[in-house]
Parts: sequence; C-alpha cells; structure tokens
Amino acid sequence: MDETYESEIIQKVLLGDPQPFEVLVREYQGPVYNLMLRSVKGSDVAADLAQEAFIRAYARLETFKVGRRFFPWLYSLAMNVARDHMRSVGRDFHVFMDNPSVMTRDVDRLDEQQAMEDRLDGDTLFRFVQSMAPKYREALILRYKHDLTMQEIANALDITVSGAKMRISRGLEMIRLQFKEVSNVR
Amino acid sequence: MSGNEDEHMLDAAIKYEIRSMSDQRPPDGFLNRVMDKLEPKRPTVWVRLKLWLTGPRSMTFSPIQAIPVVTCALALLALGLMNMNYSISDEAEPQLSTVRFVLSDKSMSAHTVSVIGSFNSWKAERSVMWYNDVEKTWILEATLPPGDHEYMFLVNGDKLVADPLAPMTRDDGFGNKNSIMFVNGSNEQSL
Repeated sequence: MDETYESEIIQKVLLGDPQPFEVLVREYQGPVYNLMLRSVKGSDVAADLAQEAFIRAYARLETFKVGRRFFPWLYSLAMNVARDHMRSVGRDFHVFMDNPSVMTRDVDRLDEQQAMEDRLDGDTLFRFVQSMAPKYREALILRYKHDLTMQEIANALDITVSGAKMRISRGLEMIRLQFKEVSNVR
Repeated sequence: MSGNEDEHMLDAAIKYEIRSMSDQRPPDGFLNRVMDKLEPKRPTVWVRLKLWLTGPRSMTFSPIQAIPVVTCALALLALGLMNMNYSISDEAEPQLSTVRFVLSDKSMSAHTVSVIGSFNSWKAERSVMWYNDVEKTWILEATLPPGDHEYMFLVNGDKLVADPLAPMTRDDGFGNKNSIMFVNGSNEQSL
C-alpha cells in the first residue's frame, strides 16, 4: 500500500476517527496472523495475539512517523507481542545461534528417516523454514515474501541494517546446509 | 553442471519457495473483532498542531489576492539575483563523484555479483556489476555523494564478500566487516 495513502489514513485516525484504521487491518491482517501462527501453537492463540498487535499499534499510533511505510512498524510491534507471549509461557522467542555450521537445532533438524523419505521440494523447505529460529525466519520472509528493503527489515526487527543482511545471509546458509544434508542422505 | 550453478539454482529455488509460501486466512470476523475494540482517539492540541504542520493543506487564491504576492516575490527574487551578481552557485547541491567498484574473478566463478551498501539501501538489484572479460573482473561504476559509504559484494545472490582492495573496514556488529568507500568532493578515494 502506498505510504502517502497510509499517512492520510493514520492522520484521520489520530484526529479521532477510528474507522479508516479498518483499511490497514484488512491489508495487513494476513501477514500478522501468519507471523503469530509461526510463533505459537493453535490458531485461536494466534488470532488473539494478532488482534493484540493491531490494538497495540492503534494505541501507539501517535509514535508512528508519518510518511514511512506502516507495515515494518506494525511488524515490529507484532514481533514484540509474540515475544511477550513466548516469555509469559516460558519459551524463548530468540534462539541465538551465530555459527552457521551449528545453527540448526536438534529439534529443528528433520530426523534422518524422515529426510530420506522427503523429496527435496517446496513442502520440505516450507517445514524447515517454519522450524527455523524466528530471528532468521522472519528476516527471510520479510525479504523474499514481502519484498521489504534491508532498511525496512532492520526497522521491523529492531536491528541494524548490517544485522538484517547478516540474518538473511545466515538464514539462507542454514537452509542451504539443510538441503545439502537431505540431498546427501538421499 | 558445476557446483556454483547447482548452488545458484538451489538459492533461486529457496527464494522462490519462500515467496510462494502460502498464508492461512485469518478467522472469520477477525477484522470486526479488532475494530470493535478501538475507541476514538481524543487528539491533544500538540497532536493537532503536529498533524497540521506535517499534513498536506490546500490553499486557494483569487487573482486579485495573488497579484501583490507575486509582485513582491518577483521583486525579492530580482534583488537576490542582483546581490549574487547573476551567478548561481551550485554549492547547495552535493558534488557527486564517479566511483568504480572492482572485484577480481579470474575464472568467472561467480554467476552474478552486485554491490550492496548504505547508498542503495542494501538492495542488490540496484547495483548489479558486469563482467569485464579482458580485465577478468566484475565492475560497477556509480555516482555517490561525498562521505563514507559502507558496502559489500553480494555474490550469486547470497554470499557476502568484503572488498579485498578496501583498506578500511567497519565492524557490522555481527562478526563481519563492511568495506568503506570514502568519497571526497570530486575525487573518490578508498582509504
């Protein structure tokens, strides 16, 4: 959505009319809901968290810098909602793994029998991406699915531009390693 | 097929699959659930002022009103030009300099190479290099404003390579070093 149009909507909302906010919810409900689905188990919980993300965005709309794209800012808030939820249920949203050679957690790794049976196709990759640590997974999805720039990814993930490009580079490396492993097993 | 081509095709497949990942639709009524929770905002004076200053405004003039304004503006413009001795300075515009990025690749092992950096929002598609068969190097010429510019080479769409010819680097905070291109006025330098 054009940022000028988004700015007009946000200005109307800030002046006391909540109705135009519906356009933003309609536009971005899919990505936010699916972010939550990737982060938690259960569609009901995911819907509740997505709802919380939009409500939090509405409540903090005064802090949004008019003229920028709304989606990276919303995504940043949604990531915080997901992170808060994970902490509240005793799980760590950010699993820090720096060395690409050890970045695949044991629980993320497809077991060998499964890997042998799997074809090297989209389903395999889809499941692997879903199981990746959020910091890499979301960077890859923002870049290749939602076409965000590195600066926008950095804003959405609250990291530096250098950090964004490294997460994407390392995320790709994780997938490459996993796929080569599957190929070798086969 | 070479290993590089295999890897390039694998990367292309990975990016395609991520782009094609199907999303699930939010549950029915999600939109209404969100909207029902929203109370109209009560903007403070400060918020109203901020929006007034930053928002677009339309202004209308009748010809009668416009004539004295335009006359004054033209008079001020003429006065300003006279004080400048009719010379228009170009100092307000930053002086762009042509810089040349070079990455040696004797056997053309790379499939594609781009320069990504602070000057192009780290977007590879904006600065794709071309391969010079004679010099056996990947080359890109660009015009940049004065200042120091961080950059790296993106090889085959995913591998980040620092410029081996850049004597100056900066830590990106993630264990890697960005190369620095220092552009000084009309002459580009790599420090």
